[in-house]
Amino acid sequence: MKISPQRSKLYLLLLLIGIVILGFWSPRALIFGLQRGSLYALIALPLALVLGIMDILNLSHGELLTVGLYLGYVLAINLGLDPLSSIIPVFVALAIFGGVIYMIAIKRVLGGGHLNQLLLTFGISIVLIESVNIIWTSRPRNIHVDYAGQSVEIMGITTGSYEFLYIFAAVAVFLLLRLFLKKTKLGQAVFAVGQNPKGAKIVGINVDFVYLFVFALASGLMGLTASIMLPRVSIFPETGNPFALISFSLVAMAGMGSINGILFAGISLGLAEAAVNSIPGYGGWSDIVFFGVLIIVIMAKNL
Amino acid sequence: MKKYAFYLILLLLAVAFPFYIDGYLLHVFLTIFIFMTMALSWDMMLRTGQLSFANAGFFGMGGYVSMVTVSSLEIDPLLSLIFAVVFAAAVAFILGLPVLKLRGIYFAIVTLALAHVFEVIAMNLEITGGSTGMVLPEAIFGGDMQLLYWLVLGMALLTIGISEFFARSRMHYAMHSIRNDELTAQASGINVSRTLIIVFVTSSALQGLAGAIYVQQYAFVLPESTFSLDYLLLPIAMALVGGTLSTAGPVVGAIFLGLISEYLRLIMPYGHLLIYGLVIAVIILFMPGGIYKPVRNIILNRILNLGGAS
Repeated sequence: MKISPQRSKLYLLLLLIGIVILGFWSPRALIFGLQRGSLYALIALPLALVLGIMDILNLSHGELLTVGLYLGYVLAINLGLDPLSSIIPVFVALAIFGGVIYMIAIKRVLGGGHLNQLLLTFGISIVLIESVNIIWTSRPRNIHVDYAGQSVEIMGITTGSYEFLYIFAAVAVFLLLRLFLKKTKLGQAVFAVGQNPKGAKIVGINVDFVYLFVFALASGLMGLTASIMLPRVSIFPETGNPFALISFSLVAMAGMGSINGILFAGISLGLAEAAVNSIPGYGGWSDIVFFGVLIIVIMAKNL
Repeated sequence: MKKYAFYLILLLLAVAFPFYIDGYLLHVFLTIFIFMTMALSWDMMLRTGQLSFANAGFFGMGGYVSMVTVSSLEIDPLLSLIFAVVFAAAVAFILGLPVLKLRGIYFAIVTLALAHVFEVIAMNLEITGGSTGMVLPEAIFGGDMQLLYWLVLGMALLTIGISEFFARSRMHYAMHSIRNDELTAQASGINVSRTLIIVFVTSSALQGLAGAIYVQQYAFVLPESTFSLDYLLLPIAMALVGGTLSTAGPVVGAIFLGLISEYLRLIMPYGHLLIYGLVIAVIILFMPGGIYKPVRNIILNRILNLGGAS
């Protein structure tokens, strides 16, 4: 299901044309779409990583984000830690958390077929949502930091300056991940396991450790994203839900498990959403864009 | 023969229930039968090997169709149930033609997304009352619990009947061979897409009916609560606990978890859904067959000494 080079060039061209048209029609939607799209890509990346390497669709993906957000919230409220400086502790904590989930549950269904994997991760997602609900109640919470509320003017359009961090973070994480997969020994092992687990085992790669590592890394990346978006979202037990669905659409659009396509898919969908949002009176329908694209793309690829 | 006498007694008991028990318990059983319908109809789809997350979507859709027809056409709520069933079945048929070509995780994600699309549509249309929902002046049967109970019982029995039909007719072999090996099923002359469509439309229609009756019971709809995750989560937990791929499993699971959930709601009004999540995870990890068969075998072998275990 990998996209061929010719087709990816075609897609890239289409995306560029879309950007130009949107830029003329509504520059505000263009900037907003780029910012949101990068955030979506950042959130979908760990899902694609787990799906690509472990061949598991993690339905509790959004709840990892929720847990990360609450963790950042607790650090900010109780220890007075700035959201951006809590990136490292939240990353580490979530990586450990993900590792524990893997050891307790995911590991047991690795060879058990998609049905059991989906149901198990679905169960985990409910457990996480409801645990958060019991501990912190369903009251929405917010973190305010001065630098996140500032705006900047570009070519006569006022837009939030903090959101540009999403674009930077998305590009940085993607480049680092690529570098890691290509240049380090562990990264190459991860890549090999993704290609062929049996073959990797035969040549002496510790497949079980690679799985644990990938799941922990994916969870950690969710913690990183959670810390970055913490000042700009309202936190409640179901916060992660819409992001999880968006991630499913991105993964489906990029091709199951393809990591490179995620950034492209994220930006396309972010732009599409911003475009629908900027049509007066139809803002409520923008949610449907994702699901529409998700359904159409999956159908188109499988028929 | 003993077996059928046992079922007959159970049936008579269920029908005669409203004469003996009070309002609260009746309400509990009413809810159990609605969730039993949801659990069984979800299980029907699972028997073909397809994991659907659209049940809450069709449940909400049935509820909305019934509400809209009652309020704008001013027909009897009982008649609106037919509209709900026909609408859900028609949507399932139209969507099913392309969607049922998908398998595994693709089918699961698309059904999950479809349920959200239904919710977004209900939230944005004018006729459905938008995000504030709708309220009707009167519940179905003027709020008569006994009549409602029999209606819901009838729906549950219909679902059990359809499920047994699927389990005893040629459909059984078609569904199970599609689940086990689709290529072989196709090679041995089974019309895979027709079988899948029949099961999908049937289960969606039942879910639409369940949603319509549930909504008419309270005479109001609200996007978040009518399309709530509960109607997806509880039926799945019930079917898994009882044991999937059978009629008895989801039925037993619905009664068992339904009673427990009432108790949980009393001692743990907040976040009792946590238990369902744990139940799903634990059952998948340690007891993928559910509780019904092992428990039944113990009762038959050790206590009754019938030796009729399988």
